[in-house]
Amino acid sequence: MAQDRGMDRAKAIYQNRSQRAGELKAQGKQVIGYLCAYPVLEMMTALDLVPFRILGDIKEPISRADACLPTVVCPFIRSALDLALKDRYQFLDGVVMAHSCDVAEKTAHIWHSYLRPPYFHFIDTPHTTRNSAVKQHKRLLKDFQKTLEQLAGRQLSQERLKEAVKAHNQQRALVRELYGLRKPDPPLISGAETLEVMVSLMSLPVDEGSRLLKQVITEVRQHNSGPPKKPARLLIWGSIMDNSSLIEMIEGLSANLVMDDTCVGSRFYWPDVAATEDPLDGLAHRYLVELKCPRTFRQADPNKASKDYQADLEYRFGYLMEYAKEWRVNGVILQSLRYCDIHGYEVPQVKDYLNSLGLPAIYLEYDYSQAALAPLRTRVQAFLEIIGQGNF
Amino acid sequence: MNKVKIFTAGIDLGSTMTKVLILDGEGKSRAQVTGATGAEHRRLANKVMAQALGQAGLSLEEIGYIIATGYGRVNVPFADCQVTELTCHARGVSHLFPSARTAIDIGGQDAKGLKIRDGKLVDFVMNDRCAAGTGRFLEVTAETLGLRLEELGELSLKATSKVEIGSTCTIFAQAEMVALLSQGRPLAEILAGLHQAIASRVVKMTRGLKIEADVVFTGGVAQNAAVVQAIKERLGHDVLVPDEPLFTGALGAALLAREMALKCLANGDNIPKKERRLEEASLYEDY
Repeated sequence: MAQDRGMDRAKAIYQNRSQRAGELKAQGKQVIGYLCAYPVLEMMTALDLVPFRILGDIKEPISRADACLPTVVCPFIRSALDLALKDRYQFLDGVVMAHSCDVAEKTAHIWHSYLRPPYFHFIDTPHTTRNSAVKQHKRLLKDFQKTLEQLAGRQLSQERLKEAVKAHNQQRALVRELYGLRKPDPPLISGAETLEVMVSLMSLPVDEGSRLLKQVITEVRQHNSGPPKKPARLLIWGSIMDNSSLIEMIEGLSANLVMDDTCVGSRFYWPDVAATEDPLDGLAHRYLVELKCPRTFRQADPNKASKDYQADLEYRFGYLMEYAKEWRVNGVILQSLRYCDIHGYEVPQVKDYLNSLGLPAIYLEYDYSQAALAPLRTRVQAFLEIIGQGNF
Repeated sequence: MNKVKIFTAGIDLGSTMTKVLILDGEGKSRAQVTGATGAEHRRLANKVMAQALGQAGLSLEEIGYIIATGYGRVNVPFADCQVTELTCHARGVSHLFPSARTAIDIGGQDAKGLKIRDGKLVDFVMNDRCAAGTGRFLEVTAETLGLRLEELGELSLKATSKVEIGSTCTIFAQAEMVALLSQGRPLAEILAGLHQAIASRVVKMTRGLKIEADVVFTGGVAQNAAVVQAIKERLGHDVLVPDEPLFTGALGAALLAREMALKCLANGDNIPKKERRLEEASLYEDY
């Protein structure tokens, strides 16, 4: 029986995320929590700070956060704040948040005032991809650099930052390699296991994560213990999924989830940072323009007076069609967390775009609780019946 | 013409009612039976099936293929296959009305909108976990007003004006009803307001699918003439209602079972029957 040491370790980290962070702290490292995909990891890595993704816990009922956040907002962020209020993020030496969405911005204030982390920074990430916004983003990253330098007690050199860019790009390349193992039919690794590996990467320093990832890739290639072949090969798009329960439900039916566009997944890792002379240029561009989250207003050509709707759709969603082709997808699940405005607003257009290309898509709204999965199962089953209805 | 005669059955185990429909060798309905679902799904499924078999004069083994659908479809020990109520309703609707492009179904605790093209389901919407604006809402209404469920529609149609009910949330609406009664508003007007609220909610939900005619309205709530009328008004055109809207899902399931079985026979394959258990009912008889 082949031992999957890498995968076992990834699962262990997925199940107990803070354990390794505790060990690193005991060695004198400083661990910085970050919310969403916009805080620039390379700057933390370059200063020998350990970036640690702040996530929620679907299994923990929200009991404290409702005292300081409205209940009709993103249940993921409510869960993350709830964990913090229950001291589950007490080990963090600092927290960095960004204007990834309005709830993240407001929660940044609340987090700061209720929890008073020793270090705190908020990046007011711009909301468009035009050049002036990218320039502004670079200025904002310089501000971020300054507070990080104060925390670390030293200056950040361009060389160190370039090395960090390389290290993170290497990890991104490995993630793309792992995702490539989902292209065969059946895929060599399930969607649920992939997500668990992604969560573990977000809980480790970059080099350690990359070593783990290499091990996992080797094992997945060698051991041939992936899911069985199933009629449907699905792509899932949408809000953050930081736990595998929804994916497990889907993969428990006659479907393999072979690709994702979510931010504990390909969306977070896909684009590299270009090697620019001033590394901040590459970073400012990557994190604002290349990172494809609907929180940013994206247009094919923002500087033209007249707009071409079809060109905009291609610019915004064309990559989904490429994923669908490369991973041989025959259906798309569009999922949004309840009250996730940025994804909710995007759904009608992305659905129209996919349908116009002949790719069936279904929209699921889910409220970040395991109890809510049963009614979603019927919807997914019906969708699978639609895709495979030649059988009836 | 198909020479092989094969009986098939559809069982639709809904949240409130369990429906069984048996098709004969020609694909015509031979028996249809309903019963209240209650808490013991399996027992009821067995009981209603046994009644339907009695009505049809058939034994369980004589049924070539059985498909279970609905909320409790996994709790049918004698079914050969499970198919969701969305696919089954779409099949039933397009059999009854080949011109149907959109279907609205309101059952005991859910409401669905279905988009149908060339007789097949292509898209759908469903209400959330909350059963607002469904059959359950009408049950609570009947109970609050001291009426029988069947009386609501007719009484409502007698109203000359209607009150505004602000919510289809069953609990909120119940409180509103009590307040309106205490203000002395006539029952018929209150009911008219409630039926409007149900229609408004389901039509709004279904608009997400871009409603196209013909529109068919099914499910237990389609037996309520006031809701039918209110949906017509909301849409601004006619809606088609089957003679027996409650059985649409079971009919669809039985039709799919027939197609599946005939396809297997045509291909020379065995029909993939499961091991069926009907005797399970006796386990519960003592309770």
